[in-house]
Amino acid sequence: MSEKDLIRRLLKEADLYRTQGLLSDAKTKYVQILNVIGKSETLAKNKQLIAGVRSKIRAVDKSLNELRDTPEKPELSEDLQDLIKKLFSFSQTKEAAAIEGAVALAKFGQYEQALKEFHRLLEQGILPVVTAKNMIKCYAALKTPEAAVAQFAKWTTRDFFSTEDLKYIRTFLKTSLEKEGFKPDIPEVETKPSLPSRAKKKKEEVFLEISAISIHLQGGPMAGQTMDFDVHFQSANTVTILIPSVQKNVADTLVPGTRLQDIQCYSPITVFRSTGTVSGTAKIKQGPRQGDYTLDITIDAD
Amino acid sequence: MAIFNAKERIIECKLVYYGPGRCGKTTNLEYIFKAFRKQTNSEMVSINTMGDRTLFFDFLPMGLGKIRGCDVKVQLYTVPGQSRYRSTRKMVLKGVDGVVFVADSLDVRRKANLLSLKDLAENLKEEGKSIFNIPLVMQYNKRDLERQGIPVLPLETLEQDLNSKLKVPYHPASALKGEGVGSTLKEALLITLRHLQKELHWTK
Repeated sequence: MSEKDLIRRLLKEADLYRTQGLLSDAKTKYVQILNVIGKSETLAKNKQLIAGVRSKIRAVDKSLNELRDTPEKPELSEDLQDLIKKLFSFSQTKEAAAIEGAVALAKFGQYEQALKEFHRLLEQGILPVVTAKNMIKCYAALKTPEAAVAQFAKWTTRDFFSTEDLKYIRTFLKTSLEKEGFKPDIPEVETKPSLPSRAKKKKEEVFLEISAISIHLQGGPMAGQTMDFDVHFQSANTVTILIPSVQKNVADTLVPGTRLQDIQCYSPITVFRSTGTVSGTAKIKQGPRQGDYTLDITIDAD
Repeated sequence: MAIFNAKERIIECKLVYYGPGRCGKTTNLEYIFKAFRKQTNSEMVSINTMGDRTLFFDFLPMGLGKIRGCDVKVQLYTVPGQSRYRSTRKMVLKGVDGVVFVADSLDVRRKANLLSLKDLAENLKEEGKSIFNIPLVMQYNKRDLERQGIPVLPLETLEQDLNSKLKVPYHPASALKGEGVGSTLKEALLITLRHLQKELHWTK
């Protein structure tokens, strides 16, 4: 292949990458073209060709810089924000779905709108600790530590949280802001007599929807192993899982009353560790899962 | 996660188009939107940034009509391919039922394909799913560029790189021309619905 043909082929490639938006690949190819030109006695004298390739490199660089400067997560229209909330809330309980929608907004960088949603949910007493933590994450992402601390100070004056919850939230706030490089001055939590707070009451009513669990087996022939199960049904903090008949030994191990010291719970919002107790078992007597076992596990609420 | 309403006989599942940046995920959905007008019952939503790059996701809901007495609905999504949008990809993968991995056939994108597949495996794992178990179809896109003399990876190389362990169905395609788009979608839907049948028994 002649030098001219080689340059023509490389230019065609580079131009195609550029039109396809593969800017780094296009630039690499243009630079390669300059190198080929530089090594050729005849082409090296072709100033027009060299200027043309350099101009293409400059144009690609400009596009790359513009891309780099594009905000990673710009503010979206209200319609799109509503769509995000709708598409990324999977729970069947209204409260958990509302939290998921707000979390989705935050995950997609719509922090201001997410904060509004979390405020509304907190006022309704929905999963207050989860909501508060997500609000703190939003403030940290927005790099507004003062607003986060002011919000926390307000929480300490109202009956949304128990003293234990406030202490936990304070630690979370401190860690979150420190991670972002801030040194916050956060009010201490005073121990107050435990009141049946609005939030606490709601917390008992609403338990995070769990989609799957991992159980670390401590007894029986499979002791030491961790097993994953999908949650088929949930009522408050009791989840129902199915154990196939081929895993009879697992079902035999997990008799009612068995304490489970290490349960990993997967919810659409978060993953958390907990403990629990096997509260019921039954063998399915009819239908497509005949012979399998259902197992109820009551997850410890705190 | 698929939603099966046994009373109303409706099943709704989620299919995600995954792959490296600029591989043609959005082009796939755009073609589907145009070619399957009968099944697409609302507008396609795209959130793009400069240079038509997907910023958050594309979304296209489809209604496949009745299959074995059940109304089948599917939501098609794409993820943003650029590496900096990992958290967005994780979010879009939530509740996924099936995946189409769109690989870029261009020679220069070989490494990008591998990194994106690795990223998919990791993100699925964090979702509690395995790339070896989820319904997955490979699409080797931009095959038409070979005819224009642009260096393109042979199918054997793509298979060796991306599919030697997974051994999932693959489709050569040119999304821009619509070639292989329909067959990819159909196969992805077929294996996803079959998989869901085992889990949910939705056809009974």
